[in-house]
Amino acid sequence: MSSRILPDFDLLLPQSVAEAVELLSTHRDRITVMAGGTDVMVAMKFAQSPAQLMSLENVPGLAYVLFDPEKGLRIGAKATVADLLAQAEVKRHYRALWHAAQTFATGQVRNTATVLGNLLRASPAGDCSCAIYAIGGVVVLQGSSGRREVDIDDFWLSYGVTARRPDELAVELILPPPAAGSRSAFKRMTRVSEDLAKLNVAVRLEMSGNTCIDARLAMGCVAPTPLRLTRTETLLKGRELTAEVLQRVAASVQWEISPIDDKRSTAEYRKQVSGVLLKRAIQEACGAA
Amino acid sequence: MKNREITLHINGEEYRLNVAVNRTLLDVLRDELGMTETKYGCGTGECGACTVLVEGKEVNSCLTLAATMDGKRITTVAGRADFGRLDHIQQAFVDEAAIQCGYCTPGMVMKTASLLAKNPDPSEAEIRHALEGNICRCTGYEKIVKAVKKAAATMPGRAAAVEPCKEVVQ
Repeated sequence: MSSRILPDFDLLLPQSVAEAVELLSTHRDRITVMAGGTDVMVAMKFAQSPAQLMSLENVPGLAYVLFDPEKGLRIGAKATVADLLAQAEVKRHYRALWHAAQTFATGQVRNTATVLGNLLRASPAGDCSCAIYAIGGVVVLQGSSGRREVDIDDFWLSYGVTARRPDELAVELILPPPAAGSRSAFKRMTRVSEDLAKLNVAVRLEMSGNTCIDARLAMGCVAPTPLRLTRTETLLKGRELTAEVLQRVAASVQWEISPIDDKRSTAEYRKQVSGVLLKRAIQEACGAA
Repeated sequence: MKNREITLHINGEEYRLNVAVNRTLLDVLRDELGMTETKYGCGTGECGACTVLVEGKEVNSCLTLAATMDGKRITTVAGRADFGRLDHIQQAFVDEAAIQCGYCTPGMVMKTASLLAKNPDPSEAEIRHALEGNICRCTGYEKIVKAVKKAAATMPGRAAAVEPCKEVVQ
């Protein structure tokens, strides 16, 4: 049961990225970082009891969503899901992410939850996480000894665990610039719209006519972290997207995923529908060219 | 820090408070300021009963830490009435009987205020999408959707320019 009572903690309110990084390097694992707080607040009401909670509320300059046709999309650590939806370029060039953001939770949560927070939560069900995995990108981490970039392919280590070190602050996410012939789509299945997904999928395809040059396929709720379907991707690369190829692609998915039974669905159901949902996402991506 | 001095601008009034850092905005509104018009529902950001506007944007006050709200403008459902006179959204909920137990209504009204500020003439699909974060366990939503349509049609300054919704007229 949820409680309205939060545990006792010390609140840290750094005024800059440098101060936040300094606090992290001093207190390390004892700090929980909070941007929007829609995950952290719920976690604290249930179980988590951090000694120190560091809010990014007073850290300036991290709430940006910046598009550059040459460099791609930069999303700051405090940019909310609603901030993404307010950018016409996201809808135009990053359709999978835009659609994931649009169906993400509720209006109230979209106004508060951050895009980077969704990645850092490292839940297999994150809608924005799934779309970003398919699109590709790098997470920029700022530590006391400097900045480093971690490819999204290497970011999630296990359930709830990311490549971020305890003394690092995730400051931004950079998505690649849109390429000609590149298109993406996102689909999810859920019980009611405000609930987490029972299955979600995102695809990014590089197309030349009806031939797929390259593909990134990501699926959520089917493994301990968001999952890339690398074996299924090979069935698409270099192929014309005929009905037969799509059928083979759909049939391949269930061999690559390891879903479990939980309160939102069963492993059996997820295996049954995963291929169909992937096929529909591919068809939508191609149709939305 | 365990406590923080903050200033909140709630419904146009300034409040200087010393809050424990582990209090939510909802706790402070209800328990410290006695503003019980904003409701506690699920406590986890799913039901929308605690919806208030922060700087004009709807948020779940149960997931908002009061200590991080220093200097913010906050509007609750009581802030919409002018000396006890209901505004057009509140009146539309009364007129359409979009209330049974009434517990979800403050959140519904605040969500509607945010929707109509961005989109003064929403379609039924847009209204239903907007209300996805506000749960009502009594009404089945039909009357609430009608109330939002009526609120859009009766928004001050636009009543003459907008054709009334057919559903509302019937």
